[in-house]
Amino acid sequence: MIEPDHSYAVEARGISKYFGGVAALDGVDFKVHWGEVHALLGENGAGKTTLSNILAGIYRADSGEIAVDGLTHEVRTPAQAIEAGIGMVHQHFKLVETMTVAENVHLGWPDTPTLVSQRVLVDRTNHLMEEIGLHVDPTAKVWQLSVGEQQRVEILRVLARGAQILILDEPTAVLTSHEARDLFKVMRDLVSGGRTVIFISHKLNEVLEVSDQITVLRDGVHEVTRSAEGATPRELARLMTGEERTLEVEHREITGETVLQLEGVTASNDRGVVALSSVDLVARSGEILGIAGVSGNGQTELAEVISAMRRVDGGTITVDGEDVANGLVRKVTDLGVGHIPEDRIGVGIVGSASVKDNAVLRHYWTEGLSSGVTLFRQAVVDFATRLVEVARVQTRSITATAGQMSGGNQQRLVARREALLATRVLIAVHPTRGLDVLAAQEVQTAVIGQRDRGAAVLFISDDLDEVLLMSDRIAVMYEGRIMGIFDRVDADREAIGLMMGGHTLEEAMAK
Amino acid sequence: MSTYRLERRLEVDTKKQALTRVAGALIAMAVAGLVLLLTGRNSFKILFDGLEAIFGSQRGLEGVALRAIPILMTALAVALSLRMKIWNIGSGGQFLMGAFAALGVGIHVNGPGWLVLILMALAALVAGSLWILVPALARAYWDVNEIITTLLLNFVAAQLVTWASIGFWRDTEAAVIQSTKRVPYRLAELPGTDSLTIALLVPFVIALVLFWIFRSTTIGFEIDTIGGNARAAAFAGINVRRRILLVMLCTGAIAGLGGMLQLSAPGARQLGPGYEAQFGLTGFIVAALAGGAMMGVLVGGTFIASMFFAGLVLQTKGLSVYIIFGIYGLILTGVALGEMAARYRLVRVGDAVSSERVAS
Repeated sequence: MIEPDHSYAVEARGISKYFGGVAALDGVDFKVHWGEVHALLGENGAGKTTLSNILAGIYRADSGEIAVDGLTHEVRTPAQAIEAGIGMVHQHFKLVETMTVAENVHLGWPDTPTLVSQRVLVDRTNHLMEEIGLHVDPTAKVWQLSVGEQQRVEILRVLARGAQILILDEPTAVLTSHEARDLFKVMRDLVSGGRTVIFISHKLNEVLEVSDQITVLRDGVHEVTRSAEGATPRELARLMTGEERTLEVEHREITGETVLQLEGVTASNDRGVVALSSVDLVARSGEILGIAGVSGNGQTELAEVISAMRRVDGGTITVDGEDVANGLVRKVTDLGVGHIPEDRIGVGIVGSASVKDNAVLRHYWTEGLSSGVTLFRQAVVDFATRLVEVARVQTRSITATAGQMSGGNQQRLVARREALLATRVLIAVHPTRGLDVLAAQEVQTAVIGQRDRGAAVLFISDDLDEVLLMSDRIAVMYEGRIMGIFDRVDADREAIGLMMGGHTLEEAMAK
Repeated sequence: MSTYRLERRLEVDTKKQALTRVAGALIAMAVAGLVLLLTGRNSFKILFDGLEAIFGSQRGLEGVALRAIPILMTALAVALSLRMKIWNIGSGGQFLMGAFAALGVGIHVNGPGWLVLILMALAALVAGSLWILVPALARAYWDVNEIITTLLLNFVAAQLVTWASIGFWRDTEAAVIQSTKRVPYRLAELPGTDSLTIALLVPFVIALVLFWIFRSTTIGFEIDTIGGNARAAAFAGINVRRRILLVMLCTGAIAGLGGMLQLSAPGARQLGPGYEAQFGLTGFIVAALAGGAMMGVLVGGTFIASMFFAGLVLQTKGLSVYIIFGIYGLILTGVALGEMAARYRLVRVGDAVSSERVAS
């Protein structure tokens, strides 16, 4: 017998996986050492998630083999994967929201005693947290936790079952940048304790920040594995997309008239807490007004009051002089306001409806698409066909349900649909969040195109780099207030950063 | 070594799904037949008798049609609400209240038959929708689950009808204790039939109208959108509350009209215990199996009515009622499994990961 080679935590050789005859993975080799954070980088559809699902026993590879710590393992089910030491935390958590942290950790775990009291569960959980170095209140119900904390519970669950190799599937997509920092610290702690973390992402900066090794997949093929040291975002982007792309945004003198005006707007969030306090804003035709701020400082509510999705408690909102505050959604749409909502799939898409119905979701009632009673089916088909083409949505047909498209394609559909509606105002809330480089640039291009056609754009993002890149003017939001507004040329990154953290304009400029 | 595995289909072909349902029903019938054979009964004869009961005579076909009307009406009512993901479990109660109101008009209003019948139909429509008004308001404005509210009102309706049949509208001339007076008016007969009236046309017309609404109108689009994602519907500017009210009142009205149509059936024309005869429940099964598709409701409702009719005839031929109910259940389970089967396909998977080899 040959002595097994323990140098690799995971060694996947020649992995191929086909879906309906299409290769999602084509002979991929993937080797990960013990004690490293290994990033798996690639665009949507490159095969990152497929590969990790195979490692975690959720899919079975059509060919190839997997060795864990030098021993070839049969990984057909998640239970077999865990036995081999591989555990995965999915993008969408699999926690029972009404149960406590301790209960969730013990759920479906063979080591859980058959008859057990709450106190024992909590003690066991505390013990585990101490051992692993992750801390969440074990008695809290999961729904009471922030997304970042829920993710920690997921990680805890996987590690509790003895996983030495942890796969995190796009873990930062749902996190605020602050929570992402905390997660990176957890990841570093885990690898310094000898474990291995496989980190799936398409965010170049994050990958460079936290990883030791980087593997790039493109179109189901292994492109490169290299050390993160010395790698540049530009180089990685080229490897991911196969071509060099950087977005150049042209900024001109803004001479357009005022389109959108908010005066003293006050509103509450879903829990009834003040989310906007006395917001004054003006957006002019042909400009992108960026809203910088940490998520949860009123940006969502700001977007919603303008598109009449949320009531204001005071103040006025006008579009081309027409008051729209507390009005009807359709009136706002009619005035030429498009809104790329933050939760595009939860709010912007009907998953069970066809792509064509989703294409006209926001204006099916307008002239040209309906008589008021009946829908003009041919017109709907024509519009949808055109939208799918310009948005480069990949779908088998426009009659297929929107829900079976990938998330990236659903987002493209929503973004382009709203851009087309936004003849006067486009509100874009985190429009590129979760998109790969190519798709993000398409959305950004669509936003810029709408500005150049004379729309006033409200560009809301918690990615300061993106706000700085896109915006003609930048407003900083903190706790529902506008802390200050900069022209692009005066925009001082440091000052904006300080104001996002709650400093006033004067304080920020003084430092 | 290669193995087979079930894989979920991304997209379900509705035509294939219709076929798998039929196949499911046939397999279930074969299973039932096998069991009956093993217990020493002649299943072929039973099958033959059942088919003959339905297709053997005009009387058989008319019997099926008579049973289909109330089932189709409640099924269409439920199917409409299902399009919005609203579960109207109370179609039986709305059916009864429709009949109750129509009866009240029929025995108290004197006039030309056609006029009284129209008034009866209107009364039934209004009564059916009033019976769901409170659940509708509660659902639309306070998000109160309609399953409980509509279900419980069924029992209230049943009590009210019992009270009417032993109390204020009791038929004092007949010897039966629990029955109301008879309506002296009848719907026009269908030419060429012995027992059928124009009531038979109503569910087909309603199904066609609903089919058109969901295929071609903005309101149908809105109802489907709310059913798919209510938040997206609000984002599209749809007044979700108003649409919930509209759909729920319409579903009640259709079930209520069903109750009035049943009054015109021979031998009915009056209310009493047993009038509702599980039409609400049966309609619910039909609508759920059809997945809210109107044409599917027509096919499924007719099928279930023929099955019930055949069962009735077989009972008179000595087959135990328990066996018949067992066969009903088996067949419906077969249809439901057939529906599921179309969502999956069998794929062959190659030898993916060989086991327990030692790496070099």
